[in-house]
Amino acid sequence: MNTIYQKKHELWLHILFASFAINDEEIKSKLYDFSQIAFRHMKWLGSDLLSSNADYNYDRDMLLLKQDSVFAVLNALKDQVKQMQKLYSNNVLDKRVQTDDTYLLQYLEQLLQDQSNNQEVSAFNMQRKWPEADLDPVQTDALTLFLFEESYKEYELILVYAYMQARTNETLHFDVFQDLIDESHFHLKSFGNMMAKLGILALPRELHEMTYKIKDLEKFVKDGIAEEEAAKEMCKELSEAINEPKLSSFFDFINYQESYHIQLMQKLL
Amino acid sequence: MLENVKMPEGINKDVMEHLMYPKNYGKLDNPSCVGVAQDEKTGEYVVFYTLLEGDTIKDVKFATNGCQDTVVVGSMYTDMIKGQSIEHANKALALIGKKLGTSMSKQQEICAEMVLNGFIASMMNYDNIQNGKTEEMHVLKMQESCQVEEQK
Repeated sequence: MNTIYQKKHELWLHILFASFAINDEEIKSKLYDFSQIAFRHMKWLGSDLLSSNADYNYDRDMLLLKQDSVFAVLNALKDQVKQMQKLYSNNVLDKRVQTDDTYLLQYLEQLLQDQSNNQEVSAFNMQRKWPEADLDPVQTDALTLFLFEESYKEYELILVYAYMQARTNETLHFDVFQDLIDESHFHLKSFGNMMAKLGILALPRELHEMTYKIKDLEKFVKDGIAEEEAAKEMCKELSEAINEPKLSSFFDFINYQESYHIQLMQKLL
Repeated sequence: MLENVKMPEGINKDVMEHLMYPKNYGKLDNPSCVGVAQDEKTGEYVVFYTLLEGDTIKDVKFATNGCQDTVVVGSMYTDMIKGQSIEHANKALALIGKKLGTSMSKQQEICAEMVLNGFIASMMNYDNIQNGKTEEMHVLKMQESCQVEEQK
């Protein structure tokens, strides 16, 4: 529907998942910041389209290739940024956005010049071995399924809330959507990094428009609250099943966070 | 590069592949018919795009906002029926349990039924279109919700 918007959506995911895949904390953190910039680009490009009576959707056409080295990840990302550069027009917003991407390109090239950055990437090796504790097969399966389920859910929530935020005229709703988007970014970041540690990093599946074109906000919010309740229960069960102090306290923390997501969502009713 | 990795015990490699890279996921640009199976209680759906050439399913895609069980079953099922006859598609779902490597739980059975109903709905859409009806997609409401209590 809109090529720049779609490619920016794909680039956001490429940067985000490169950040998850790479173990080096400094590179990971910097790429994550760039991914957040790309997400804000999406927001501004989307808003620009809507104000000119055009529209966008969340279609994607991308693969996340299994890479086994940092340079393979960075080179793939570099190609994506270069492809993106060709799409910008001469308008003010595109030019501004392009300068951010140019800086990202410079950063990637700088990393690629230093061979010591070329470490092994284990994010796709499917070994499902949790590095910080010995988990038995049942615990590992439970953690695996939880991460697939919830990483998709957080991606879905980010995009659905962003879609609604772009179309609301109510300040309260706008603020609530922003809080929920920020929360889901944090959760997606946590789960994505955990998937990489387990060697099962994969893109969340694409959203169908039936998911984000919400016709009945009240029903959506009520279903969403039920889903948050279910997620709380899943976290509680997982925390008990895994019985590993660090992971259990993390899932308890996520469980408690879902409580104020519910509170935020109730403000939309 | 990583194709020959030995999988640890637990979820089998086939299921893991379908989880990480669901097959035939998304939508078709020019389907012959579109069907939706919907669970009104949970708001979950499976949308099924089918491209037919005579009695053969030339191409197929699905999308869902449902759980990972629905994704894995949908991925396996579409993989099994692509290029096959409609008759084969109607029988293929029974073979999914074997591919999953375990017997299906009650919840997985409902997820599988939702996938099959998506396909059936697309066939109903096809029949309706053939009979001159204007219908963008055919929607089937699920009789049983996947929000079930697991038997312990």
